[in-house]
Amino acid sequence: MWTATILSPSHPSTDSPVDLGFFFDPFSVPFMARALTTVLVLAVASGIVGVFINLRNLEFISDGLVHAVFPGLVVGFVASGTDGLLPGALVAGVLAALLLTVASRRGVGSDAAIAVVLAGSFSIGIVIVSRETNYVSQLEQLLFGGVLTVTPSQLTQIIIVGVVAVVLVVITWRRQLFLALDPVGSRAAGYRSLPTEIVLNCAIALLVVAGSQALGNLLVLALLVVPVAIARLLVRRLMLLAPLAIISAALAGWLGLVTSFHASISYGITASPGSLIVIILITLYAVALLGHLLVERIRTARRAVPHTCFEHTGQHPVLDLDQDVSARRRWSARFRRAV
Amino acid sequence: MGFFELAILEAALLGALSGIVGTIVVLRRRAFFTVALTHATFPGGVIAALLGLNILLGAAVFSIVLVGIMLVISRVDRQGSQVASGVVLTFGFALGALLQSLNRDMSVQVDTFLIGNILTVSPGDIAVTAGVLVLAVLCVLFAGKQLLFSSFDPQGYRLAGFRPVAIDLVVLGLIAATVVVSMPAVGSILAIALIAGPAVSARLIMRRIEWMIPLAVLFGLVSGVGGLWVSRVFSVAAGGGIALTACAIVMLAVAYDRVRQYRAERSANGGREA
Repeated sequence: MWTATILSPSHPSTDSPVDLGFFFDPFSVPFMARALTTVLVLAVASGIVGVFINLRNLEFISDGLVHAVFPGLVVGFVASGTDGLLPGALVAGVLAALLLTVASRRGVGSDAAIAVVLAGSFSIGIVIVSRETNYVSQLEQLLFGGVLTVTPSQLTQIIIVGVVAVVLVVITWRRQLFLALDPVGSRAAGYRSLPTEIVLNCAIALLVVAGSQALGNLLVLALLVVPVAIARLLVRRLMLLAPLAIISAALAGWLGLVTSFHASISYGITASPGSLIVIILITLYAVALLGHLLVERIRTARRAVPHTCFEHTGQHPVLDLDQDVSARRRWSARFRRAV
Repeated sequence: MGFFELAILEAALLGALSGIVGTIVVLRRRAFFTVALTHATFPGGVIAALLGLNILLGAAVFSIVLVGIMLVISRVDRQGSQVASGVVLTFGFALGALLQSLNRDMSVQVDTFLIGNILTVSPGDIAVTAGVLVLAVLCVLFAGKQLLFSSFDPQGYRLAGFRPVAIDLVVLGLIAATVVVSMPAVGSILAIALIAGPAVSARLIMRRIEWMIPLAVLFGLVSGVGGLWVSRVFSVAAGGGIALTACAIVMLAVAYDRVRQYRAERSANGGREA
């Protein structure tokens, strides 16, 4: 895809013992710089929104939104090419956010309902795209995206949509936190949970729309879910979750782009940059997980008191913050004062 | 037998199997787990295709590995089962996409794994599906009571002296086997429609639990065979046709449930006024 001629003339090799140019030079090429900007924007936005996905266990709903945006992408793409992607996806995303909010509130068997919405909307997309002539390559483009082919106008769209998603969450920040940490208290304080839930689900849908154009429909979910999961392994402080998530996503995005660039230039290997980014992100997660398990083991060995009373049952994954009663009281008090 | 007869046979077998296993998935709330597993078979299929092995084998081995990883993550505090499914799901897709992008000249195309192709299914695939179906029927016949008990009252099940781990393993095995055998026919993404759809419809229509499985099997059969017919008539992807038919049945079941509730409410109100 790349030829070496794009690079070589403007970059004399540096004299420093560690060649940092390896990590920074690729981004002097315009399309690489755009790819990096896209990934960084997405990292910041999904780090902030992702905190609430994690705290409220919305991973499955997010997956549902990801799949539900797909028919919108297809219809938009079939109607008017790459320009149609954003409008189509926006309509489908907002519709799906409303539908899934209602479906998930229906209590009994709600996860099966999400599964049906997810599969149904995805198959609508598949059926439409399968009537196109060269549908395999189109399908691949829609599912796995092309972070390297992001155009300047697409980048602007991604930034706008991402900013709107973040603003939605930041405006309702207190309510979102209150609902996530103390749903009963939030309702008792007179807040209706439905509008708060709809706002959050719309923000997730917007991010999915923004990310779908760059990373592809299926890989966006990784950015929404994995960085915050890494942050939760590393720290207990709530306010550190978003910054750490952003840092890990940005790191993975940057390393993924650099790796795919050099693999292509030096070895002629065409590795899809989007999937490389996700693989690196999950490698970071694996390292954090192993580190976390190691630290826990050392701690329990030092304490030598098994804390069986907080053992997970496996059936109901309990939020750690929920168990920490004092932290919850502190937060509730703070909310009541603030409200 | 021609390829279309083979496809009908496979669709019928898969529909019946999905009806049985789907009921278990819905009752035990393992839908997200199943979705994660279906996505995770994608890289297994790609690896098998690269090595020249049977796709089913690759998917089966990889799904066992990923079930293990999910179990580990879901036991770590501050992570839980939702995060575990999310991580494994995205890992599966990213790995599959990466391997696929590294081997552009691979003979098998990406849509084979993602949405399947029931029209190219081999007699071997059908035999394996039939085998898993027999296994599922046997499980329900001999362990049906335990399955129900542990689904509705996990604590009571443990206190009554049964081992929940054993029944969990049986359920995981059944789900994984179903996901794997449905991959060549309906692909990694659409399998969940056939697994969850019939069971959800059956649950909406039937209040009695013992009728759920037969009804779900019936809906599964209708979705499989009817979907195939739909795809032939309208010339769309077969996997998409099957998934859409399953979802259409869910819509009808929801409508039926609404009408029934509305009538019940009206007759209750009428009774009060009279």
